[in-house]
Amino acid sequence: MNMSAYSRTEAQQRADEIGVFQSELDRLEHEGVLTLTEDQRRAVKEHQRGLLAQYSQAFDIDRDTQSRQLSIGMRVASFLGALALAASVFFLFYQFWGLFPETAQVGILLVAAFGSFGATFVIQARDSTGYFTKLAAMVAFACFVLNIAMLGQIFNITPSDKALLPWAAFALLLAYSCDLRLLLAAGILCLIAFVSARTGTWSGMYWLHFGERPENFFPAAIALFFVPQVLDHRRFQGFAAIYRVFGLVTLFLPMLILANWGQTSYLDFDRTLIQGFYQVLGFAGSAGAIWLGTKSHWPEVVNTGMTFFVIFLYTKFYDWWWEIMPKYLFFLVIGLSAVLLLVVFKRLRTVRYRGDGGASA
Amino acid sequence: MTWSRKYTLVAGLGLIALTNAIALFGVVYNRSGAPEATLRLTQRELRTPYRWYGGRENSGLALSLVWRVLNERSPEIQIYGYVGTGGTPAWLDKAKMEALGFNTSAAAAPSDRSRMRYEKQLPREVLLVLELEGPAYQRSLELATQHLAREEAKRASSPGDKNLDSRVKNVREALEGEASRNSRLFVVDAGLELSALRAKYPDTSRHAIVHGQVRLVSFDTSSGGTGYISGLSIESINVPFALRDVFGGATLVVDFDQRNRVPFEATVAFGKRFEPWITAAAKK
Repeated sequence: MNMSAYSRTEAQQRADEIGVFQSELDRLEHEGVLTLTEDQRRAVKEHQRGLLAQYSQAFDIDRDTQSRQLSIGMRVASFLGALALAASVFFLFYQFWGLFPETAQVGILLVAAFGSFGATFVIQARDSTGYFTKLAAMVAFACFVLNIAMLGQIFNITPSDKALLPWAAFALLLAYSCDLRLLLAAGILCLIAFVSARTGTWSGMYWLHFGERPENFFPAAIALFFVPQVLDHRRFQGFAAIYRVFGLVTLFLPMLILANWGQTSYLDFDRTLIQGFYQVLGFAGSAGAIWLGTKSHWPEVVNTGMTFFVIFLYTKFYDWWWEIMPKYLFFLVIGLSAVLLLVVFKRLRTVRYRGDGGASA
Repeated sequence: MTWSRKYTLVAGLGLIALTNAIALFGVVYNRSGAPEATLRLTQRELRTPYRWYGGRENSGLALSLVWRVLNERSPEIQIYGYVGTGGTPAWLDKAKMEALGFNTSAAAAPSDRSRMRYEKQLPREVLLVLELEGPAYQRSLELATQHLAREEAKRASSPGDKNLDSRVKNVREALEGEASRNSRLFVVDAGLELSALRAKYPDTSRHAIVHGQVRLVSFDTSSGGTGYISGLSIESINVPFALRDVFGGATLVVDFDQRNRVPFEATVAFGKRFEPWITAAAKK
C-alpha cells in the first residue's frame, strides 16, 4: 500500500479527510443518495484502516478529537520546552566557561555543536511524533549559535553580520530535514537580519545600525515572499505560508514606521511627503495582499494584509481625529469603520462565491 | 538512513566544521607574526565591567578598554565627564569627516531638507588611533592643572566663598584623578588606510590602530568638532584562563571609580585584523 504522505502534517491531513469522507458517506447513504455494495464498502474500509494504521505507526497521528486536543497541548509544551532548553544551554555554558582554559572552551563548544546536531538525527529516527525532534533541533541550533558567538568572545573577534549566514543555513537545514517550522522561522529571522545588514552597508553605514533605515528590510521582504513561488514546498506543510507571512511582516512593518517617522527614510524628500508616500504604499500594499491572497487561496496572506490594512487605517484615524474629536465620537468612528469593513468583506466573499461557479446561487 | 538524511547529516557537520575553521583561521591570522601594536595598559585603562543581575552568572572575565578624547575647549567636561562613552574631539572636524566619507556640505545649508540630509547620515566604521600616555594625555593633565589654578585664583579674589572652596576641592580631586586614576588612553586620529595612519604614528608601543564607529553631530559642540566617536568595534578584551588570578578579585567588586582596584599591568597586543588579546599580566 502506498502511504502517499511524506510528513506528519500530510498524514494528519489525509486522516482528517478520511474521517470527513466517512461521515459524508454515512449521511448520503442515510438520505438514500448513494449506496455502496458490501464489497465496495469493505474495500474502502480496509483501505482506510490500513492507511490509518500505517500513519499511526509512522507519524503518530491523532485519530480522534480528544487526541487532537492533547496534541495541541503537546505542541505548546514542545515549543516552550524548545525555547527553555535553548536558553538553558546558553546559561549553562556562561555559568562554567570561565573555569576552563581556552582550548577546553573551544573543545566543549565544538562537542556541543556536533553532538547536539548528531543527537537530533538520532532522536528524529526514533521519534514519530516530532515533538522531541523539535526540542533536540532547537538545542542544536542554540549550541551552534553559542559556539560561534563564544568564539567571538573568547578570541575578541570583531562583530560581523557574516555570522548570521551560517546560523541561517544551519537553522534552515534543521527545518527542512526535520520538518520544523520553529527552526524555519529562526532561519528566516537570521536571513532577514543578514540581507538587511548587507543592504545597509552598501550606503557605507556600520552594519549594526541597519535597523535605523527601515527600507533596508525591503529586499529581504520581497525575496522571502517569492521563495515559495520559486521553490516547491508541497512536501513541507506550512513552510510556504511562513515565508509569505514573514515576507509581508518584513515589508509592512518598516512601511508603518516610515509612514509615521519619515525622517528615517533614505528618500531625499520632505518628511511629510515621505510619510504620505508610505501611507499610500501601505494602504495599497495591504489591499493588494488581501486581493492576491483571496485570488491565490492564501489565507495567511489575506489575514496579514487585513491586519496591516486595519493598523494603517486606525493609525491615520488617530492622527486625524484623536486630538479634535471627543473620545466617544472617536471610538464610534472606529466602531463604524469596523462595521463598514465587515460589510465590504462580506460583499467580497459573495462576489467570490459567484465567481467560483455560482456556489451560492 | 536514506541517502538524503545521510547527506543532510554530512552537510550539517560540514557547516559546523567550516564555520569554526573560518573563525579560528581568522584568529590565527590575526595573531600570526609580530603584533601590529603592543600597549602596556594598567587598571586605569582596563576595567571590570559592571556586573548586571543576569551577568553575575557569567563565570568569564572580560576587561573594558577605557578610552577618551581630548576636549580642549571644555576642560570641565574633560575632567568630570564619563570616560569611554564617546566624545567629540576638536580634530574630528569637517575636513576629517569628509575624508572619512561623510558629506558635511549640507551642514551649512540654510534649508531644512539639507539639514535633514546631513543629520540622516549613519555611523561608519573607520580606523581609530589609540594613543597611550602621549601628548594628548599630557595636554589633558595640563588642562586640569590650569583649571585648578584658575579656580584657586577665583577663590583668592573672593575669600570666604563656600561655593568656591568646594569647587576648588572638587577640581583638585579631579586633577588627582587625572594624574593617578583616569585612563591615559586617548583616541587621537581617524582614517581609512592603515598605511597612512601607521606612517603618521609609527610607535607601535604607544599607538594602536583599531576599528571604531564615527558619526556626525547635528549640534554645535564645545570642542568645535563635527564628528562623534561613538565606540570601538571591540570594547572589551577577554582575560585568558592562565591570567585570571591577576584580576581574580576584581570580578566581584562593583567599584565605580576603581579606587580600590588592585593595581596591575597587562600587555595587550593588537593583531593583523586589529583584534586585541592579553599576552601578559602581573600585579604591580
